[in-house]
Amino acid sequence: MLSVLMLRIMKLRNEWMLFLMMIAMTLVFSTVFGFTLSQGHSPKILIVDKDKTEYSQILIDELSKDEIFEYEFANYEDAVKMVDENKALSAVIIEDDFSEKIKNGKKTTLNILKVKENRELMIFENLLSKTTAKIAGNINIAEIITNYITENGSEDKIEIFNKAYTRMSKGLKYRRPLMIEKEIFNSSNNRYDNYKHLVIGLMLFFSMYTMVFGIGEILNERKYNTWQRQLVSPLSKFSILLGNMVYTLIIGMVQISILILFSKYIFRVEWGSSIGGILLVAFGFTFSVTSLGLLLSGIVKTHGQLSAITPVVLTSTSMLGGCMWPLEIVNSKILLALANITPQKWAIEGMERIAMYGQGFESVLFPTLVLFMMGIIFLGVGTKLVKFE
Amino acid sequence: MTLLEIRNLKKYFKNVKAVDDISFRVNKGEIFGLLGPNGAGKSTTISMISTLIKPTSGEILYKGESIVKKPSIIQKKLGVVPQDIALYPDLTGYNNLKFWGHSYGLRGKLLNKRIDEVSEIIGLKDKLKKKVNEYSGGMKRRLNIGAALLHKPELLIMDEPTVGIDPQSRNHILDTVLKLNKQGMTIIYTSHYMEEVEYVCSRISIMDNGKIIAMGTKDELIDIIKGQKKISLKFDEFSEDVVEKIKGIESVKDAYILDDEIIISTENGETIFKDIITEVSTTNSSITSIDIQKPNLETVFLHLTGKSLRD
Ligand SMILES: Nc1ncnc2c1ncn2[C@@H]1O[C@H](COP(=O)(O)OP(=O)(O)OP(=O)(O)O)[C@@H](O)[C@H]1O
Ligand SMILES: [Mg+2]
Repeated sequence: MLSVLMLRIMKLRNEWMLFLMMIAMTLVFSTVFGFTLSQGHSPKILIVDKDKTEYSQILIDELSKDEIFEYEFANYEDAVKMVDENKALSAVIIEDDFSEKIKNGKKTTLNILKVKENRELMIFENLLSKTTAKIAGNINIAEIITNYITENGSEDKIEIFNKAYTRMSKGLKYRRPLMIEKEIFNSSNNRYDNYKHLVIGLMLFFSMYTMVFGIGEILNERKYNTWQRQLVSPLSKFSILLGNMVYTLIIGMVQISILILFSKYIFRVEWGSSIGGILLVAFGFTFSVTSLGLLLSGIVKTHGQLSAITPVVLTSTSMLGGCMWPLEIVNSKILLALANITPQKWAIEGMERIAMYGQGFESVLFPTLVLFMMGIIFLGVGTKLVKFE
Repeated sequence: MTLLEIRNLKKYFKNVKAVDDISFRVNKGEIFGLLGPNGAGKSTTISMISTLIKPTSGEILYKGESIVKKPSIIQKKLGVVPQDIALYPDLTGYNNLKFWGHSYGLRGKLLNKRIDEVSEIIGLKDKLKKKVNEYSGGMKRRLNIGAALLHKPELLIMDEPTVGIDPQSRNHILDTVLKLNKQGMTIIYTSHYMEEVEYVCSRISIMDNGKIIAMGTKDELIDIIKGQKKISLKFDEFSEDVVEKIKGIESVKDAYILDDEIIISTENGETIFKDIITEVSTTNSSITSIDIQKPNLETVFLHLTGKSLRD
């Protein structure tokens, strides 16, 4: 094992190009996409306010507190047209019975117009339902207060309710500092971050090349007949494979670590509180992809063939697994099911649990376990397929 | 003492009987030659001895123990010089030797000492810092040999170690083989150049089509065709019928045209020269030279198979 490891380190002097190239690619793509993402306007949401009451205004005010989206009023016809032409992300229709229903504690429905599902829309829908829930909560509180007061006094119930609700809605505008702080905390740490997703996706995607070709070097060994010479030597098949695996695992981990450091200090990407968890997922990923590389090397005959199929395999599985775009925007059940058999999906999930949603070390144990299981399967089949002669 | 024994060894690929039931022994201290044309099965035999591939059937015993069952018995003791150069082209000569030495368990000072000694033997001492892909063909061949010598193998197998190189490198390699043998190394030497095999080997087996068709010392092999002579005639020009006329001579076994010569195999005819000249003079041809060739392994091979070693 040590012999092969030593060999690979000696060869690294000639192979570092690929390694550096993959790091550079990740950085370049992260920069380019980061630039385009930050250049983009905030998505526009149209508001069709048929209700035009205090209550609809509360809703609008609440929504606009968030700076992700830009809001604009429009009439229904214009809204349909603009959403259809992709000039606006979506439109919210506040029907004219909105205030009535909400006052009477009936179930209100807000219609939104959308052309297609995407990540931003999901965020918006989320925001909308959170906001309406909050308003409904306020109404509840107002009602309880009203009931309390009417039980103890003789004033007109409806009048008191109106007064109480107005207070509540005013209260929304002058919220206590504590509440606001919580909002900020929420928005910076637990919210979906397109850019972060992209950095993670690109990092995984490009590092896979280093890993697959790292282990695929055994095909070059066969080309140079050194494979046969190694097999004839006292080195066992096991130690030859192990040496190549260990080397590839190390180089893969080094690459991911470098990229994490780069993204943290240059692109200001926050990686969350458990770097150990991130590295654990990274290791699971490196193991499964290296094993996948061994499997591919067993399927093809030459290094040339490996160079031909690797981009196809890596790109397609990376698209499936959500490296290029978040899986949340994928609707097809089949594609989502297929995503589960890509290592990328599990690695992204694990890393984002920590880096995006602020979860702890334990949260990555399951994704890591899945990655290791995959790796073991790939390794088992790969070892069978690799020709030891 | 028998170092290696091959018993009824066979290797069948899908539709080729690459090695078809061969048996032989290699004694300690000898240079054993495997001579045969392309595709005879030499490399396949060697791959089985060196544990790279498993025989279809048969047994290979190293010091009496089966290496088919237990490859590790021979792996540490064996040095293999493969027919195809097996080196890392992007590494320096030194690093190549370092890795191969390491893979045979050599470490530290001992490894460095052996790299030193071996690079001396193969005459590449001042070229070790260069990358192998900057080496000439002959230098690669020599390093290919060197990589097999680092651990001082008991048995060295060389599969056509001189293919495609200049005469000087070739002589160097042949002398190295003899030197190593003098130091006590047992060697199996494979080639389809009969001159090389004649020069270095103490015992030779001739292979063709996966079978051993003759085996013995050089003299024993040549004895097979005792009494046979080979005569080559050179002409200014000759007419077609001259070959037929020569074939008609009683003591001539065979005659054929090779380039601008006629090659004649004869059986000990006393009057052969006179007969030839008489026959030729009846045609429009004129002889410029007559050459009598001593029988050699080439002739033996020709005799046994009816074809030439090199095609
Ligand atoms: N892996 C293989 N699969 C199928 N056929 C093979 C394989 N290896 C060798 N052969 C066939 O076995 C026969 C013997 O090949 P081998 O390489 O042993 O010959 P050789 O004596 O070493 O010839 P050369 O002088 O060309 O090296 C050839 O017909 C070859 O085509
Ligand atoms: Mg051969």
